[in-house]
Amino acid sequence: MTEILKAFVNVIIKMPQGFGVTLKYLFRKPVTVQYPKQKIPMTPRYRGRHYLERYDDGTERCVCCGLCAAACPADAIYMEPEETANGERKAKVYEINLLRCIFCGFCEEACPEEAVFLGQDYEFSADNRNSFIWTKDQMLVKHPRKENPLKRIIRRVRRVYGVPTAK
Amino acid sequence: MILTAESIKQIKESAARYPHRKSAILPAITIAYRQVGHLNDDIYREISKIINIPQSEIAEAATFYTLFPKQPVGKYLIQVCHNISCALMGADSLVEYLEHKLAIKKGETTKDNLFTLISVECLGSCATAPMMQINQDFHENLTPAKVDKILADLKAKG
Amino acid sequence: MADSTKIETPARTVETVTFTINGRTATVAKGTTVLQAAHGLGITIPSFCWHPKLKPVGACRMCYVEIEKMPKLQVSCATEVTNGMVVFTESDKVKQGRRAIIEFTLLNHPLDCPTCDKGGECDLQNLTFAHGYDDSRFAFQKLRKIEAGVPSTFDDIKIGPEIVLNRNRCILCYKCVRANKEAFGEYDLGAFERGNHTEINAAPGQQVDNPFSGNLVEICPVGALTNTDWRYKIRVWLTDQKASICPFTSSGTNIQFYVERHKNRIFRTTGRRNDAIDDGWLSDVTRYGYQIIQSPDRLKTPLIKKNGKQVPATWDEALAVAAARLTEIRDKKGCVCVGGLASPSLDNASLYTFNKFMRVAMESNNVDYRTEYRRLPSSLDNPYDIAASQAFTIADIDESDVIVVIGSDLVREHPNEYLRVRKAEQFNRSKVFLLNPLSTKPSDVAALELVHKPGAEEIAISAICLAAMESGWASGVNADDLKSKTGFKKAADAAGACGLDLIEIQAVARAIAEGKKITIIAGELVTRSREREAIGAALCNLNRVFGVDGKGQMAILARHANSVGAARLGLTPDLGAGFAGALKSIWGQYPETPPQNTDAMLAAARKEELDAMILVGVNPVMIYPDREFAREALDKLDFLIACDLFETETTQLADVVLPLAGWAEYRGEYFNLEGRLQSAEPGIAPLNEARPAHQILESLAEQCGSPLFAGMDQRNAEMEKILKVDIRRPWPTGLIEVKPQPQETAPERTVALIMGDDPHHSGYLTEKAPSLVGFCGEAYAELSPELAAKLKVGAGDSVRLEAATGKIIVPVRVSEHIDNDVVFVPRNFMAAPVNSLVSRKQRVDWVKISKVSD
Repeated sequence: MTEILKAFVNVIIKMPQGFGVTLKYLFRKPVTVQYPKQKIPMTPRYRGRHYLERYDDGTERCVCCGLCAAACPADAIYMEPEETANGERKAKVYEINLLRCIFCGFCEEACPEEAVFLGQDYEFSADNRNSFIWTKDQMLVKHPRKENPLKRIIRRVRRVYGVPTAK
Repeated sequence: MILTAESIKQIKESAARYPHRKSAILPAITIAYRQVGHLNDDIYREISKIINIPQSEIAEAATFYTLFPKQPVGKYLIQVCHNISCALMGADSLVEYLEHKLAIKKGETTKDNLFTLISVECLGSCATAPMMQINQDFHENLTPAKVDKILADLKAKG
Repeated sequence: MADSTKIETPARTVETVTFTINGRTATVAKGTTVLQAAHGLGITIPSFCWHPKLKPVGACRMCYVEIEKMPKLQVSCATEVTNGMVVFTESDKVKQGRRAIIEFTLLNHPLDCPTCDKGGECDLQNLTFAHGYDDSRFAFQKLRKIEAGVPSTFDDIKIGPEIVLNRNRCILCYKCVRANKEAFGEYDLGAFERGNHTEINAAPGQQVDNPFSGNLVEICPVGALTNTDWRYKIRVWLTDQKASICPFTSSGTNIQFYVERHKNRIFRTTGRRNDAIDDGWLSDVTRYGYQIIQSPDRLKTPLIKKNGKQVPATWDEALAVAAARLTEIRDKKGCVCVGGLASPSLDNASLYTFNKFMRVAMESNNVDYRTEYRRLPSSLDNPYDIAASQAFTIADIDESDVIVVIGSDLVREHPNEYLRVRKAEQFNRSKVFLLNPLSTKPSDVAALELVHKPGAEEIAISAICLAAMESGWASGVNADDLKSKTGFKKAADAAGACGLDLIEIQAVARAIAEGKKITIIAGELVTRSREREAIGAALCNLNRVFGVDGKGQMAILARHANSVGAARLGLTPDLGAGFAGALKSIWGQYPETPPQNTDAMLAAARKEELDAMILVGVNPVMIYPDREFAREALDKLDFLIACDLFETETTQLADVVLPLAGWAEYRGEYFNLEGRLQSAEPGIAPLNEARPAHQILESLAEQCGSPLFAGMDQRNAEMEKILKVDIRRPWPTGLIEVKPQPQETAPERTVALIMGDDPHHSGYLTEKAPSLVGFCGEAYAELSPELAAKLKVGAGDSVRLEAATGKIIVPVRVSEHIDNDVVFVPRNFMAAPVNSLVSRKQRVDWVKISKVSD
C-alpha cells in the first residue's frame, strides 16, 4: 500500500519538480562556452606558459644565472650562458620542456632578475614531443601582459650599485 | 732616464741605510718626487731597478700616499683636507670657493700652470680646521678672505 | 757510513698551552692561532682572508671571537693561544660582530650574484647567509671602480691571459696578493691606492701571467677574480667533482675535475689540497692541462695506412691488421725484431699491460719508457739509477734547513717542489743553493746561486766534495781516494774547470756540512745529460762525503707522472736477474732476446734490424734528442703502430694509428716521485672512439693469439706481486770514480743550447690546450741581455738557431734570468722542433745564433 502511495507521490509531485529544474535552466544563460570560438578569461594568478621579459631598451633581462633551473622541481629548464661583447652574461640557450613542466611557478619566484614569468596562455598542444621544448625566441615574444609592475627598474646596473652612476 | 744621476746617488745612499731593502721605498719615492714633481709608472720602474724591489711594491707604496701626485701638477699644489673635522668646519664650501676663485674643478690645474687643486684625507691639523696645504706649508683656520690673500700673495710671487 | 758524520737529531719537544674554547678545555702546540686551534677541534670560525698556507693578516675581521679579559672582539686568525685563555666563538657579542662585518663587507659589494660566476661557491654568499642580516643600513650609492675605455657593463678588466678582474666585487681580503708574493714569489699583482679606493690590480704595465696565476682565482673568496676558462660556462651546482691526479707533474698533484655528466665534459680543474704533496697550489699546466682531452683535434677513429695514405677504419679492422702484421714479423723475423716504447705518463695498468704484451705476447725484451734521454744505460746498476732510486719525501723539503738544487730548473720541471723550496725559505729560513748551467727561478730566495759552465755538472759536484775535504768537513773519506776518483788534485782546479769561484763552492760545502736536515734535489738537466752516469757517480760521492743519507734526503727526481711506476713495473729492457726471475715466476716465461733500450731500438731500426714497433703515447720524433735520427729510424720500420691522443709527427709515419684515451677518461693508478700510489677517477667517458691503453693492448694481444689476462683480477694480482720487488738500490759504501769528461770547447761563434719545458707547458701535448697557448703560444729563444746586445736583437726580432742537424727560426725573448752565454728554447711546440738542433752524440749542444733580418 505504502509503495503505491510513494509511486503516486513521485509521479505527481517529484517528476514535475525535476522537469521544472530543466525548464528553469532552459531560459538561463548557459555555463559552458563554445571553446575554440569562445574563451574564458583566466584568473589573474593563473600560471600558463612562460615568457621572458625584456628591459625597456630591448635587452633581455635574463642573465642565465640558473636559479630557475635549480628551483625547478621537474627539471624542465635547460640553459647555457654566454658572454656578450661588453662582458655581460646572457643566455645562449634557454629551453623549457613544457611536457615536464608542472606550472608550479617556482622559476618565476626564483628569478632574481624578474625575467621569467608564467603567462595566461594554456594552448600549446602539438603533434610531436619536440614542439613542447620551448626555446628562448619563442618565450621572448611580445607578451600580452599590459602593465608590468617592475617597469621602474630600467637597467640592471641601477639595482646592482644602488642608484644610477654615469660611466 | 727621468731620474738624474744626483737622485740616483741619493736613492742608493738612503737605501744603504736600512737593514731591509723594502724600507728604502719611501725615501726613494720622496727623492724622485722632489726631483720630478710627480710620480708615474716609468719612475716606479726606474726606482725598482735602482733598489732592486719589484715595481708593483713601489707603486703600492706610492699610490697609498696622496701627497705624491701621480700626474704633473702646477707650481702650487693646493691640498684641501676633507676629513671629518674640516668637513664639519666647511671644507666642502672651501673647495667650492677655491674652484670658483681659480676657475678650475677639483683635480685640475689652472691654465697658467700655477695652481692644482685636490682634496685629500686628514692632514693632521684638525684643531685648526678648515685647512689646506700648499706645497709644504699649512694654511689654517681658513676663511674666504684668508684664501684670497694667500692666493694673491702666491700669484704675486709667480 | 762513518760514525763521525752522523748527527744526532733530538726529538723535537713541542711546547704546549692549554686553553678553553666554548667551555671545552684543549691543549695545543704553542704558537697555534685561535682559529687553527678551533678548526682542529672541529669548531668552525668563518673567515675570508685566512688561508692555511699563508701568513695571517687579519684583513677581513670576519673571524672575530670573544676572549675573556679582552675588552674587544679579537681576530682569531692572528691571535695566538696562550695558557688559560678563555675563548667564545658563538656568544651574542661575536654574532653581533660578525653581522656588522658582513654588513660592512657588503658596503661596496655589488649585488650582481646572478651574473657572477662565483655564485654557488662564494664565501661571501655563504657567510652572509649564515651570519648576515637581510638588510643594510648603508642605503647610498656603492663605490664603483671604473676603468676608462673598457667596454664592459660591469667594469670587468682582463689582467692576464686567463684572469678577469672585477674590482667592484673585491672585498680586499688580499689573499691573492699575499699568495702571489708569499707562496709564488711573483709581483705581478698588487693592491694600490688607499682606504675605500683600494683596488687589486696588475702591476703597472704588466700582466698576471705567472705559472701559478690560476690559484689566485681559486682562492678568491668572491667573484672578483674569475678565469676565462670557467667564466659564464656553467653553474657550479650542475657539476660533479671527480678526484684525479695531474699527469704533467711527477709529484702527482691532487686535482679534481668539475664535470657535467650529461654533456660528458670537464669544465675546470681545481686543487684537492694534499699537504703531503701540493699544499693545494696548482701550476697552470696542471690547472688548464685538462683542455687537451676536449680538443677538437683529438684522433677520432683508428687509421690504417692504405697505399701510403692513412684512412679511417674501425677498431676491429685496425686491431686485426696490427695483430696480423705483428705476429707475422714476430714469427718470420724473430722476436728481437719487435720493439715498443710507452709513455711514463700512463697509468700502472697500461704500463704493466704494455710490459706483458711485449714480453709475453711478442716475446721481446725491447721495452722502454725513456724516450727523451740520450745514452741510456743498459742495466740499472749504474750510479745514475742508484741516485734516482733513492727515497724522497716532498713534505720534508719544508723542514730542511739546507736545500741544494742541482741541474734542475725547478719551476719548469717540478712546480710543486719549487713552491716547497720557496715555502721552506719563507717560513723556515732555509738556505737554498742552486747549481745550474743557467740562472733559474728560485734565485730570488737563494742564498747563493752558482751558474757553472754548461756540461760541467759532475765537476761542480766534485769541487764541492773536494772543498769539504780540504776544509776538514768530510772526515770519513780518504783524501787521496777522493782526489783520484774525482780526477782533480784541488778544489780550486775543479772549480776553475766548471767556471765557478772557489769561495762559492766552499760556501755550499760548508752549508751542507753544517746543515741539520738537508734536501738535495737533482733534476732534469742531470737526467737529460749524456753523461748522467758520471753525474750520478758524483752525486754518490757527495752523499758519501757529507753523509747526506744520514741527515736528510738526496734524489734525482723522476720527471713524469708515472716514471716511478714504469720503473717498478719493469719497463726497462734489462731488468737484472732478480727482477726478471720474479717476472718469470709470475708469467711462467721470460723472453731470451737481447734487451735493447730506446737508443738501441732506434739504431737497430735505422739499420733495418728492427722491423716493427709499437708506440704508446710517445712521440719520439718530437722528444727524442735527435729528431732526424728518430724520424729516419721510424720511417724505415716495416710496421709501426702508434697510439696517441693527437696526430703527431710520429703518428704520421705509422701504419696503424690507434686513438688513445687520456688520463681523464679512465680510472688509473699512478706512482708519484715519492713512490706514493694515487688513483685517478675518470672525469668523463672516452670521447669519440678512443680507448685506454691497457684495453687496446689487451685486445691486440687477444688478436695475436696470446691473451694476457683472464680478467682484471688477474692483472691486479700480478701487478701486486711485481710491485713487491724492491728496485731501490742502496747508496754505494765507497767512493765511485767520476770519469772526468774532456771539457768540450765551444766551436767558434756558438752558444750552448738548453732545451726544456716552458713554465706553461709540459711535453708535446699541452700545445692543444687553448688556455696554455694563451700564456705562451709559440717557441722562443731566451737570451741574456748581453748576448742580445751582441746580436743586436730585441723583443720582436727573430733569431736563427743552426746546428749540424737542422735549424729553426724563433722570436727572441730577452731575460735577465739567463747568463753564461746559453740560449733556452722550449721544446713544447711542433712548429719549432728544437730537438732537431740536438745531437745524441754530444753532451752540450752548440748552436750558431744569428739575427734574422727581414
